[in-house]
Amino acid sequence: MKAPSGSLRLRFSPGRGKAPETIAPEPPATAKPRGELRVGIPRVLNLWSTHQFWIGFLNALGIDGRHIEFSSDTSEEQAREFGKGRGTVDCCYPVKCISGHFGELIANRKRKIDLLFSPMVYSLPSYLNGHVAASLTCPRVMAAPENIKAGFLKEKDVFAEHGIRYAAPLVSLADAPLVPKQLYEGLKDAIAGLTLGETKQATRAGFDALEVFNRAARAKSRAILEQCAREGRPALLVVARPYHMDPGIGHEIETDLQAYGYPVLWAQYLPTDGDLLEWMFRPDIEAGHIRSGLDIADVWPSSYSANTNEILWGAKFAARMPWIACVVRLSSYECGMDQPTYSPVQQIVERSGTLFFSFQDLDSTKPAGSVKIRVETIAHYLQKYAAEIIAKKVAAGPEGCPLAARRE
Amino acid sequence: MLIAGLDVGSTTVKATVARDGAVQWQDYQRHHTKQAEMVLAFLQRMQAEGGLTPGRDRILLTGSGSGFIAPLVGGKFVQEVVAVAAAVEKLHPQVNFVSEIGGEDMKTLFFAPGGDGKSKQVYMQSACSGGTGTFVEKTARKLQIQTERLAQMRYAGMTLHKISSKCGIFAESDANTLVKSGVPVEEVIASLYEAVVYQNLATLTKGNTPKPQVLLLGGPNLFFKGLQEAWQHHLTKLWAERRIAAPASLPPESLILVPDEALYYACLGCIEIGSGEAPGVGVYPGTEKLKWWIEQGQWEQKAKEGAKGLIRNETDLCEFVKAYGTDQCPAPRQGPNPAREAPVLVGCDFGSTTAKAVVMCGEGELLSSIYVPSNGNPIEDAKALFRSIRERGYQRIAGLALTGYGKDLLRDIIGADVAIVETVAHATAALHYYPDADVICDVGGCDVKIMILRQGTVSDFRLNSQCSSGNGAFLQGVAERYSVPLEQYAEHAFQARAIPSLAMGCGVFLQSDIVNQQRKGWSADEIMASLAAVLPLNVWVYAGQLQNLAAAGRKFVLQGGTHRNLAVVKAQVDFIREKVPDAEIVVHPYSGEAGAIGAALCAADWLKQGAASRFRGFETIESLAYTSTTNEHTTCKWCPVNCKRTFIDVRLAEGRGRAWSKVPLATGWERVISGNSCPKGLLEDVNEMKVVKAKLEEVKDAHPNIAELVRESAFRQPKAAV
Repeated sequence: MKAPSGSLRLRFSPGRGKAPETIAPEPPATAKPRGELRVGIPRVLNLWSTHQFWIGFLNALGIDGRHIEFSSDTSEEQAREFGKGRGTVDCCYPVKCISGHFGELIANRKRKIDLLFSPMVYSLPSYLNGHVAASLTCPRVMAAPENIKAGFLKEKDVFAEHGIRYAAPLVSLADAPLVPKQLYEGLKDAIAGLTLGETKQATRAGFDALEVFNRAARAKSRAILEQCAREGRPALLVVARPYHMDPGIGHEIETDLQAYGYPVLWAQYLPTDGDLLEWMFRPDIEAGHIRSGLDIADVWPSSYSANTNEILWGAKFAARMPWIACVVRLSSYECGMDQPTYSPVQQIVERSGTLFFSFQDLDSTKPAGSVKIRVETIAHYLQKYAAEIIAKKVAAGPEGCPLAARRE
Repeated sequence: MLIAGLDVGSTTVKATVARDGAVQWQDYQRHHTKQAEMVLAFLQRMQAEGGLTPGRDRILLTGSGSGFIAPLVGGKFVQEVVAVAAAVEKLHPQVNFVSEIGGEDMKTLFFAPGGDGKSKQVYMQSACSGGTGTFVEKTARKLQIQTERLAQMRYAGMTLHKISSKCGIFAESDANTLVKSGVPVEEVIASLYEAVVYQNLATLTKGNTPKPQVLLLGGPNLFFKGLQEAWQHHLTKLWAERRIAAPASLPPESLILVPDEALYYACLGCIEIGSGEAPGVGVYPGTEKLKWWIEQGQWEQKAKEGAKGLIRNETDLCEFVKAYGTDQCPAPRQGPNPAREAPVLVGCDFGSTTAKAVVMCGEGELLSSIYVPSNGNPIEDAKALFRSIRERGYQRIAGLALTGYGKDLLRDIIGADVAIVETVAHATAALHYYPDADVICDVGGCDVKIMILRQGTVSDFRLNSQCSSGNGAFLQGVAERYSVPLEQYAEHAFQARAIPSLAMGCGVFLQSDIVNQQRKGWSADEIMASLAAVLPLNVWVYAGQLQNLAAAGRKFVLQGGTHRNLAVVKAQVDFIREKVPDAEIVVHPYSGEAGAIGAALCAADWLKQGAASRFRGFETIESLAYTSTTNEHTTCKWCPVNCKRTFIDVRLAEGRGRAWSKVPLATGWERVISGNSCPKGLLEDVNEMKVVKAKLEEVKDAHPNIAELVRESAFRQPKAAV
């Protein structure tokens, strides 16, 4: 061993060239028959908006729905039990927590998985596609699986040790023609006998399944708004990233508000029916501010990020929809994607007289005390001002709202 | 030639003198913040007892306090992690993981086979007390456990309880709660060790597994038997989980080593490094310079180093006093008001440590304000407040509003018309006096709240919950230490022309920093001033996590008891102006009573609806009959803290009773739960939870949440396809 140099500068070795501690068992030589293959998928990040795509896709390849294992919701216990010490140097908690999800899927002894599938989603199938510049994901989010995987390979190959194959294909879901090839390349070693032709078909099935779900969710949102219009009652809109629906990330803040008797909509699943868009955005289109009801160029010209775009469009929707009396913004600690949107979103919402509340810097622990106080605060102001806000917004909006028209 | 290694840490000085690698002399002593003096004493002893000779022998220094001392004794400075690593590499080639816990820091070192020899990964944490020696000692002191006894206390076999591992101050209050509810101190200490190991593993492993052989270093690891056991427990468990087999060459008992020399590894590392240095490096010149520094230099240093005082000059003081020095708390018209038969509005603020009430006339003028320390029984607190209101001659209450922690408990019992959440009460009170307020900053004795207002509502709210930094308790504690009445704090602080710069952040370290500055010769006035000066930083940045003050607004309202201290106000004004040059900053005229005033104003709002008050009347409140029960059935079972709650059952004609309870309650009675330390404890048990949940499900069904749809069905096979 060399004598320490005594230099003040420390050399941080990233662990390159380390010899593996144990000889890794060979990965399964041939993948299992598809009927027996069990696929584990971490329920994280963009899985919260692409869920049904993957179920539909794998189903079409002959993988039984009962053999698709999603990890459970994020929780501190999960991180403590399964992710301990495998954390990454990343301030983004929705990324950091993935090591708990990986660990949980790997440790599942009862339903042992053969394949850990954690797609690196480069772009998303957003309802704003075609009206915006692009629908990319956050680069940090896209690369997260690689980042987390490192924690399971650093000292020894934990996947191999458990006989699990790891697949994380890069996939551009906003660019449908690219997807089959990406998934075929990423999965051909993991799924026995996979062909490009059937991957194409399965991709189509995936998009169809996602569309069915999304359409149902939008219809549900519309039904909620129609009921609110009929009864003159307020609804809340949450603008956040899809993974804030995860109880361990968004801490179910919106559920606490729901308990006060307010229906809750999410920007990802707002109704986009033609009649509604026409009613809300016709004046802006005529004035030349935007080209279509789903265009956000008036407020967010650099419309490259799918989730950000939907957040901005959600804010515009809320500003024009009389029965959305309140917008709740959720954002995770140090989210670089969210930070530039704070003021625009707030200003769009507030200018319409709609109440706006933001919960920023969400992290692993639910700040239960302050959330309780804030939820009570929001409930108080809603109770006090909702009727006034609805009346004001109805008066300010165009005639002939299709939601109200259906009353007859 | 001898080589000396001197480790000047945050709490102790350690030294080793060696000849050709053989230890000749070593010792350690607590320095009680007199670092330089203790080093001098050490050097003198090292010369007399260890044979250290000026001009011939060499000295190397390490540790957090050695930066300024090394040049004074001609020694070479070695970063402490480098020093420890050097010693470990020499003495324990088999070691893979080292934890060194110090008084105010903690480090982990991972060694792994690399290209040439071993590569190291080093992690260190010194900004927060969580997981350090101080974390354990502070609580042990509070529990009056002597150091000798602490050292012998066990971990193995103890029942563990949940203690905050993140902050020493919160851990101390958790420990207090545990002891109060009858948990033996042995279990509390074991739980502290658990927290220390957890915190070290959670924050300082970063994807590495501590593999055998493990070396535990530093005072706490050496002296606390229980801490060693906690490491043993967690590491063994981790190894089993990760299927890490111990190297066959190592006997099982040597997998975790705590060497007798555990304190001296940094010193030994210095010696090791020194032996590889060129001759002439670190030759010890004697103690002259250090003596000069102790007697003279440090005072000169102090004058150079300090920041400017709170007050820049006379004009600055005059302007400040003109703007803020007037009576900030005009006493409300106390005593019977001229028309005392006239109906009044009452707002009450039931806090965790005090209960306050204000009486207001219908036009919003404050008539009287009442304050009672809370005795932990909300019924008695309410009785005391209303007795006092009546004594002051008010007879008719037209509207009653409650706020604070006790608002929901007492609402039906005393017949309040509205229960208002704290934020709304504070915002209402601020907007009443300053309709254009943007930000309210409320600094109380033990909490910090920041409210950002938009459109007349509270749009954002920050509460310090994980970290105790920023609250006003320190100012009070320090004033007490210097026997300065709190009312004279500002007068003293404004005397300071220069002040030491205290570190922002951890309150535990702030305490020791104060002692340190005091040692450097800063006076009471100067330290008090610097404490006030650092408060805004802690409030806004550390506790409030608010970096961009300008985005929050430009009209700031300061309230809460701590802002009665003008030194704090001065610091706040300067801090805010620096960030928001056109800021308008006001101190709420009734900064302590803002909550109660806000409640009373909400009662005025309610009154406009024209309903008659539900107030039960002074007589009824005075004669409220209640029974208190504290037994094994009232103990809270929601979490391992197991608060010993008290059920206060009050006789009320319309009381619904609780037939399902383990402490059954007949109809005609209503139950109030107290003694719980978190909101969950307000629910009696699983039975009540079921009742509440069922009601909640009904509400949720009637008011859907799209996220619920996603959570329930998006990750499942669609129904049609199954």
